[in-house]
Amino acid sequence: MTSRESGRVKDAERRKVLDDVARKRRARKAVEALEQDNFHEDPHADLVMSKKVPKFADSNEKPTRKKKSKSAEYYKMRFRKTFAQLVEEDASFRSKPPNYLSAQAPPSKFPERHFCAVCGFPSNYTCIPCGARYCSVKCLGTHLDTRCLKWTA
Amino acid sequence: MSETSCYILDNGAYTAKVGFSNSKSRIIPNCIMKAKSERRRPFIGSQLDECRDASGLFYILPFQKGFLVNWDTQKTVWDFIFSKECCPVNFNDTPLIITEPLFNFASIQEAMTEIFFEEYECQSLLRINATDLAEYNYRRTHKNDCTVVVDSGYSFTYIVPYINGKKYKDAIIRIDVGGKVLTNHLKEILSYRQLNVMDETYVINQVKEDSCFVSKDFFADMEIAKKKGPENAIVKDYVLPDYTSLRRGYLRDIVPPEEDLEQQTLRLNNERFSIPELLFHPSDVGIQQMGIPEAIMHSINSCPEEHTENLLANIVLYGGNTLFPGFRDRVYNDVRSLALDHFDVNIELPDNPITYAWEGGKYIFRDPEFYSFCMTKEEYEEEGKPLAFERFDI
Ligand SMILES: [Zn+2]
Ligand SMILES: [Zn+2]
Repeated sequence: MTSRESGRVKDAERRKVLDDVARKRRARKAVEALEQDNFHEDPHADLVMSKKVPKFADSNEKPTRKKKSKSAEYYKMRFRKTFAQLVEEDASFRSKPPNYLSAQAPPSKFPERHFCAVCGFPSNYTCIPCGARYCSVKCLGTHLDTRCLKWTA
Repeated sequence: MSETSCYILDNGAYTAKVGFSNSKSRIIPNCIMKAKSERRRPFIGSQLDECRDASGLFYILPFQKGFLVNWDTQKTVWDFIFSKECCPVNFNDTPLIITEPLFNFASIQEAMTEIFFEEYECQSLLRINATDLAEYNYRRTHKNDCTVVVDSGYSFTYIVPYINGKKYKDAIIRIDVGGKVLTNHLKEILSYRQLNVMDETYVINQVKEDSCFVSKDFFADMEIAKKKGPENAIVKDYVLPDYTSLRRGYLRDIVPPEEDLEQQTLRLNNERFSIPELLFHPSDVGIQQMGIPEAIMHSINSCPEEHTENLLANIVLYGGNTLFPGFRDRVYNDVRSLALDHFDVNIELPDNPITYAWEGGKYIFRDPEFYSFCMTKEEYEEEGKPLAFERFDI
């Protein structure tokens, strides 16, 4: 809790304020985290895949296939492209709208709403050091103790 | 040439909907999963049913940001789907309808064409957007000229207007909020407020499905959620699965501490409706885009004006997020308040919003023109991939 910290430390923290660039970076990181597909990396990626995945296509019970199929690994290498590369390529393939980028929804015309970063209820106040929202003194205290300037994006 | 049935694969980023046109569809997780309890065994697609303990389950997905990029994963899942273990098929004598995302990237389209003609040896292939199948399904029963298809899935939500059966591409809108953002946000806020569940995507996705609803009056529900005691009709506890006596969690009323059954629970209050709210206000979490009703209006207003009335009267919703209780009514209320009074607004939520596009595939197969929509292996061998770009309007 804030009250347990010495006044000097508290004052030092108070004077620190995140600049606009840092705030924008933090906001961008938060959105990126929300759009993550795989939150976890596979800790056994090297260990398991080659041996343990059953090769359905190779099984001789399979009635439908005559020729020998190519491995999953082959297609991984054959079509390997990152999302960023694909978006970049699209700029030449579909240079004029409509395309993937142009289809993105424009910003809303309705006013933005603000919610407490701690409890999620509507908030009326902004934390001075970091710009987060809070609804009450209690939530501000929690915010200062847990997040605010404590995690750096 | 005409076959008695075709194989339909609605290849979503989260689930694949698969089956023959003369039977029912199956819903298969389109991913490989690994469990903490059985570290050395991957679960492919519906093999997840064999997993006894799904805590700490994680996904290896073929799709990233809504596009197919991990081909090794996808090939493994497809091999599973086409095998005896799932839904076996012989593409030599069965045409294939497979769905792709709108504005799918060119090299992914080429890869799709190549893999289905060369690896899976398809004789007849139709690559198509899932929204096209949904629109076909809707037009079949409504005999209408114009439709707005709203596909709210795992990676994003698409608003696609159709005029006389054709996509009006200039007015297509993508909102970068889907089921994934909702689950990630729920994970994040629960982990901060109560219990670290960052590694429990699978369970928290179920919490979301079992607990969340779309509010009819957002700020009124916020006031209710602030109340203490019986006046708060929103606050509930979610009993988490322990995988010995309970395989799937459930929502229950709060019990007094003395009646506590030593179950591990999560307290859900404003989370229950502020999560689906992101579909209506993406800016609540800093995604600066319109929500669904505003985007529907924006899309319709980007179409030629003479179709406005027709489009507003034929809006169809499908995809996993449309299953939230209250979803349809909220879209209706919001669109109604944004549209001019003298227009009718009609919003349809089909009985099974998950397989609605897949069902459309059944009917498109019966279209007398079906084979003219397809590309054959012979055509592929003679003219190659460029023909696929002409034939398929992805
Ligand atoms: Zn608060
Ligand atoms: Zn702060």
